[in-house]
Amino acid sequence: MPQTETYILNMGPQHPSTHGVLRVNLELDGERILRATPMMGYLHRGIEKLLEARTYVQGVPYTDRLDYVSSMNNNFGYCRAVEELAGIEVPERAEYIRVIMAELNRIASHQVFIGSLANDLGASTGMLYTFRDREEILDLFDLVCGARMTFHYIRVGGVARDLPPEFAEKCRKFLDRVPEFTAEYANLLMGNEIFQRRLKGVSRLTPEQALAHNMTGPNIRATGIPFDIRKVDGYSVYPRFGFEVPVGENGDNWDRFQVRFREITESARIVRQALDGLPEGPVMAKFPKMLKPPQGEVFSRTEGTRGELGFYIVSDGTAKPYRVHIRRPSFINMQALDDMCRGYLIGDSVVAFSAIDPLMGEVDC
Amino acid sequence: MKDYIGAPLLAALQQAFPSAEYDSEAAQPAVFVPAAELTALLTFLRDDGRFGFARLENLTAVDYKTYFEMVYHLFAWGANTWITVKVKLDHEAPSVPSVTGVFPGAAFEEREVYDLMGIEFSGHPDLRRILLAEDFTGHPLRKDYRQAAPPKVPRLRREGGRVYAAD
Repeated sequence: MPQTETYILNMGPQHPSTHGVLRVNLELDGERILRATPMMGYLHRGIEKLLEARTYVQGVPYTDRLDYVSSMNNNFGYCRAVEELAGIEVPERAEYIRVIMAELNRIASHQVFIGSLANDLGASTGMLYTFRDREEILDLFDLVCGARMTFHYIRVGGVARDLPPEFAEKCRKFLDRVPEFTAEYANLLMGNEIFQRRLKGVSRLTPEQALAHNMTGPNIRATGIPFDIRKVDGYSVYPRFGFEVPVGENGDNWDRFQVRFREITESARIVRQALDGLPEGPVMAKFPKMLKPPQGEVFSRTEGTRGELGFYIVSDGTAKPYRVHIRRPSFINMQALDDMCRGYLIGDSVVAFSAIDPLMGEVDC
Repeated sequence: MKDYIGAPLLAALQQAFPSAEYDSEAAQPAVFVPAAELTALLTFLRDDGRFGFARLENLTAVDYKTYFEMVYHLFAWGANTWITVKVKLDHEAPSVPSVTGVFPGAAFEEREVYDLMGIEFSGHPDLRRILLAEDFTGHPLRKDYRQAAPPKVPRLRREGGRVYAAD
């Protein structure tokens, strides 16, 4: 008597499409996915616990290593939380510089997304193009802080040092290139029939599903919900700049790609306005070397490149935080993976991981 | 946190849930609620038109050595107001009802708290460790957690081309 059984397949942790060390347990009926269970923790370093043993200022470089593709945004989120807790007023020039850095890093991160999505679909050339252009942003970061990754540039109270004199000109030169290379990506990828058919209508999520999974960032905007913390909270100097929040319609992989693709242009718009309006002045607030925030707690959030990045910090009045919890967007977005894979083919699961755009350093923390 | 829920609404909340407590002096008081009433309170906050807290932005726990505190940050998009709900838990056998029935998106965060803090969530659909290995013992985010000593590896001694275990 022949029998059919479901088959369990482990995707990862060494599979190149899993963007680091993610293992996904796929339950299969032939080629169809019945259930996808993400198994994470391969990169768990206990950053929340480590931060309890460091002073507030010493904690900043640890946040670089959360989402290491967009370190500036993590520095920004953590520093904002500490400043809110300690009541530090950040100079205006520093806020502008922070916004410039965060948005440049958003562009770089979305370029990594587009490149790796193309690579996962078999179009390795796409990766070469996006990484070539990302180099220009990394050169800009190298110029301001001497590092190409894990910058530790945004500090508690401001930024580490002022912009070098040649930065504005080089940055504008890069911004002029943005329409050029986005047109190139569009030309290279979007007209491609394989690219379209692998993305359109695949891994669809309804707005209700996205809300139920508590998704944030480009993943929720792809379903048509314009939830962007930069607009909702209007933190830092974002309300002074005009920019759109791109949203999708169908909530499929194509929309996830489109939302990020269009965000590159919007981020470039913000950077240009910030460069134009960059005020003079100090770039670091004055506060005691040994920072001891008053007893209390704070939950502060910013729009990271992957969604809502929140820091919950409890202070007991000493120089070290009593408890730090990090609300990592990639970690929470991973909950939708099962819904995005169920009913699709094994090959589509690769695209689903890629479209969520998880960064395992952040998922595992 | 920008706009915290105002005093009239907090009073209305206490009218609906007499056991809910908050410090009326504080600027941004957290609402403390007994564990048994947690899911009813969150359902009320989500569904009642005056509150509309449809988003659970953050869920975590803090170890205060003598007790645990569950922390829920809720956000009402539109009104842009916040509320913090807290539950105090016994340190010996901490257990709290799972809120996945009200906010399904809390599933991973509750697993994380279970894993690192060791708090049981009754009614959770899939309560397993999420970051650490399944055979791991202990809960690292607790304040009394001490890391186990690294395993002892015997040292070797070389003598005349032969290797001995140095005791």
